[in-house]
Amino acid sequence: MLSLLRRYRELILVAVLLLFPLAVFFANAKKPSQHSRVDRAVLTLTAPLEKGVGVVVVGVLEAVDGYVALRGAHRRAAAVGKENQALQLELQLLRHEAAENDRLRRLLAVAEAAPARSYTGARVIGVRAEPSGLQLVTLDKGSDDGLSRGMPVITGDGVLGRVHSTAGGSSDVLLAIDRNSSIAVRVERTRARANVRGLGHPGLARLDHAVRSEDVIEGDLLVTSGTDAIFPAGLPVGRVTRLQRAAHGLFLEGSVILIVDPTRAEEVLVITSGARDRELPSSALAPGRTP
Amino acid sequence: MRPLLLSLVALLLTGLQAALLHQAGGGAFTLFLPVALLVHLAITADLVDGAVAAAAIGYVLDVSSGGTKGLLTSLAVAAFLGIRVIRIGVEVQGWAGFAALCGLSAFGLSAGAVALTRLAAPLEVRPSWELLPRIALGALLTMLVAPLLRLGLRRLDGIFGERPSELRP
Repeated sequence: MLSLLRRYRELILVAVLLLFPLAVFFANAKKPSQHSRVDRAVLTLTAPLEKGVGVVVVGVLEAVDGYVALRGAHRRAAAVGKENQALQLELQLLRHEAAENDRLRRLLAVAEAAPARSYTGARVIGVRAEPSGLQLVTLDKGSDDGLSRGMPVITGDGVLGRVHSTAGGSSDVLLAIDRNSSIAVRVERTRARANVRGLGHPGLARLDHAVRSEDVIEGDLLVTSGTDAIFPAGLPVGRVTRLQRAAHGLFLEGSVILIVDPTRAEEVLVITSGARDRELPSSALAPGRTP
Repeated sequence: MRPLLLSLVALLLTGLQAALLHQAGGGAFTLFLPVALLVHLAITADLVDGAVAAAAIGYVLDVSSGGTKGLLTSLAVAAFLGIRVIRIGVEVQGWAGFAALCGLSAFGLSAGAVALTRLAAPLEVRPSWELLPRIALGALLTMLVAPLLRLGLRRLDGIFGERPSELRP
């Protein structure tokens, strides 16, 4: 027996490496994933890396932009002169800053609309969107800034997701588009209840548990109901589309176009306390896109 | 030593991938850069060293993807073994072969993860096969950047004194 083990020890080791993690996966697949200390250490290592790489990538892109713009300025120098080009660049920069100011102003309006709550502003520094894994974005704020698991994350338009895990200086946000995300909502027009569950696709989610007899029509705005103990009531989530009222069954079938496009989220607010205090006035939030 | 080094490289590639995806597309498409490490291992490492390093890389992928532990660890070892089996039947040489194997591994790893998650996860969170086009696009993009990664990995081997076996007489 021992000689057999010795003879096939390499194959046995490889088989263990292959099958043991698989057994761990099947044993834990039905439980929500939690990060161990080692996992958090690994994530703590990757966050500064993402920030650094982000800075390098932005720097390279800006350098390339600058180079292209300068080449253009040189070619057109005879006609319009260098000053004009410099003004063009400045204008672009101002437009960029104006757009950023607009986004920040909308976030500020949300924060001012419910002063009883406390918020932490954060920037998106990374995206993890493997179809087989969770749909996450990484924020540049973490447990050192008071963030913890489950806190709602919003933009000026509505719900982005909730904090999934935190490291010292960064945190991962589980997006509303993730399959594991289910948000309790109401139809704003009729107050009918339902859930919005992600499908793993950017921008589209599924309408869940909307009772067939309820008054729901395509284009209805869905806002958080506040009954899931995570999101405060009144935050826009999405609009109903592809609604099907089958001849039988308890529930309606339909899709939801999410208000917040996670691929465009840059600055966000994390609601760090008072998330369940009171409903946010709908005027505080931007109307969001229509389907 | 090599598994540890490659896990650090996997960590670096995961960070690079997250930052790149944020800058380009914001998650509209995806990449699987660390699979290049698995392909490189399958070409250059022996069975045990390679399997241990593949498991270490898979663990990094498991942690960074935020999903249930063990899935990508096991699939990374399976991908490593799969590529070794392919190499028995097909002579893989040059950057084109490397890129093709990277694309194939990226697709296999992701599709395998979706299939296993469908088997094990509760009904309401099971991933749909509608994700396959997204996976295929990710694999294609990975294939396109794979030659660059191969260049970097060969340089890394040079620094740490490893000679890729495909160059040995």
